[in-house]
Amino acid sequence: MLINKNLIEMNLTSKTRDEVIQALAKLAYQEGRVSDIEKYVQAVLKRENEYSTSVGFGVAIPHGKTNAVKEPFLGFARVKEVDWAAPDKNPIDLVFIIGVPEEQSGNEHLKILAKISRKLMKEDFRSSLRNADTKESILNIIQDAVK
Amino acid sequence: MKLLAVTACTTGIAHTYMAAEAIEEVAKEKGYEVKVETRGSVGVENELTKVDIEGADAILIASDTSVPMERFIGKKVLSVPVSEAIKDTEKLVDQAFNASIYQGNKNLVDEVSEIKEQRAAQRKGAYKHLLNGVSFMIPFVVAGGIAIALSFLIGYDAFQQEGTLAAYLKSIGDSAFGLMVPILAGYIAYSIADRPGLAPGMVGGVIAIALNAGFLGGIAAGFLAGYVVLLIKKYIRLPKNLQGIMPVLIIPVLGSLAVGLIMYYVLGAPVAAINTGMNNFLTSLSGTNAVILGFIIGLMMAFDMGGPLNKAAYAFGTGTLVAGTGSMVMAAVMAAGMVPPLGLALATILFKNKFNNAEREAGKAAWVLGLGFITEGAIPFAAADPFRVIPSIMAGSAVTGALSMLFKSTLSVPHGGIFVLFAVENLIGYIIAIAVGTVVTAFLVGTLKKPLQEIETERNVKNEKYNRSSSI
Repeated sequence: MLINKNLIEMNLTSKTRDEVIQALAKLAYQEGRVSDIEKYVQAVLKRENEYSTSVGFGVAIPHGKTNAVKEPFLGFARVKEVDWAAPDKNPIDLVFIIGVPEEQSGNEHLKILAKISRKLMKEDFRSSLRNADTKESILNIIQDAVK
Repeated sequence: MKLLAVTACTTGIAHTYMAAEAIEEVAKEKGYEVKVETRGSVGVENELTKVDIEGADAILIASDTSVPMERFIGKKVLSVPVSEAIKDTEKLVDQAFNASIYQGNKNLVDEVSEIKEQRAAQRKGAYKHLLNGVSFMIPFVVAGGIAIALSFLIGYDAFQQEGTLAAYLKSIGDSAFGLMVPILAGYIAYSIADRPGLAPGMVGGVIAIALNAGFLGGIAAGFLAGYVVLLIKKYIRLPKNLQGIMPVLIIPVLGSLAVGLIMYYVLGAPVAAINTGMNNFLTSLSGTNAVILGFIIGLMMAFDMGGPLNKAAYAFGTGTLVAGTGSMVMAAVMAAGMVPPLGLALATILFKNKFNNAEREAGKAAWVLGLGFITEGAIPFAAADPFRVIPSIMAGSAVTGALSMLFKSTLSVPHGGIFVLFAVENLIGYIIAIAVGTVVTAFLVGTLKKPLQEIETERNVKNEKYNRSSSI
């Protein structure tokens, strides 16, 4: 599975973009998806610095493609109004973090990420994520979305 | 109204799809017909077809990477960064319908190489494998053909004197030609089964030569080897700790044995018979039959300008090359392939009023492409006005192909255009054939195409009507 309960954080208290990324990378590391936290974080920040992955609607999708990722994953966190250097200056409160190995075989998980990305454009998908009470329900919402 | 869009981003993971979703949503809300091509890391999905593009009113490109643009020439195209398409979707969709017409890349040479790459990427199945083999084989045939032609320049029989430069040149040429069929077979197999296909394919190719099955035998061996290796990979499963010996021991040995034995016991004899038959047919070919063959080759070379038909004729031409002897078919193929860009280039000079500035500029580059035997140089002209240009170049190339056969010109190398004229026998006839076809194409294009002013006047008349009615 691309995502599981341990890759979801209901209320992450980190206050800056870099802290959020660091915290989520750590989850991925604990789940064995990332072999080298620093290297992964650097890849994600490099991408962020090209231009912000904040896509509006309070959503950011930091992502990194590097060989520090052992197995592709999707992580999710709700945060409290973090500034994501968005062009529209608005803070974000939903973060999807994505990790993909540099060289990966098969593209099943890429298709799943594509579906999630499309879903993010839907208002009801975003609000159900904001209103969910448990990790289980968030996991269900995400899994439903990619069916 | 129909809107097309292409979305792509640098990593191809998220923004590509978000932009696609946003554009689809907005366009549907506004009641437009919409189709979005996504170019993400999954690959190209929902690719826009020629029919889609023809029927489109506007095209929105939301991309941070390069997107093949050639196909959109003559359409309203708006290009924006992908992130903008996610945020200001509505505004951009409206803007796309008022965008300026995309004129395309002004540099013909760049444009042509882009088209060639695109086409190579689009090739599929057996055709793709065959062309992969042919493209790896060509350098050997060119090197071999030119070395042998140089030897003949010293003197037609000069190579028979051992230890002379002429003998060495001939020997270099023969060596290169000797690799032609093995390389063809090897890289057909490589295209089918990746690296493990190479060894069985090349071995099969050498056997094809030994069996006198030639070029056709090489093609058979290549496909055989490719699919045999795929089967071995599929059905032979070794325990994990032994898997390392698959590519170095199991596949090469089993693959080569299987291919070799099948060639000797099954395929070799019939293919050799066909090969001999074809060669006899070609050498005995003369008079009307030869001219008809040249005519058909010409039609094929010009019809799709470097597409499958053109490449089929070309592969057939290279197959008729046998070390040391020139081929009439190959000569007709090259001559007919040179004519489309040359004819169009001539037309831009003779009929200046029928081409816009950009096309006249492109005409200059088309001379170079034509002289270099790059038929694709005609594509930008044909894309702009296919129903007038394609019949014109087909007619010119057919005349050239037929004349080249009539004059019995031969060519001993597979490529090079004007740079390999020294490898042509009966050069005068050959040049006449090319020149006549070029003139035929130029005059047909000139006759069929409308002068630009007429088109302009038509537009002005319409505008005037419009202005009048609006002022009332």
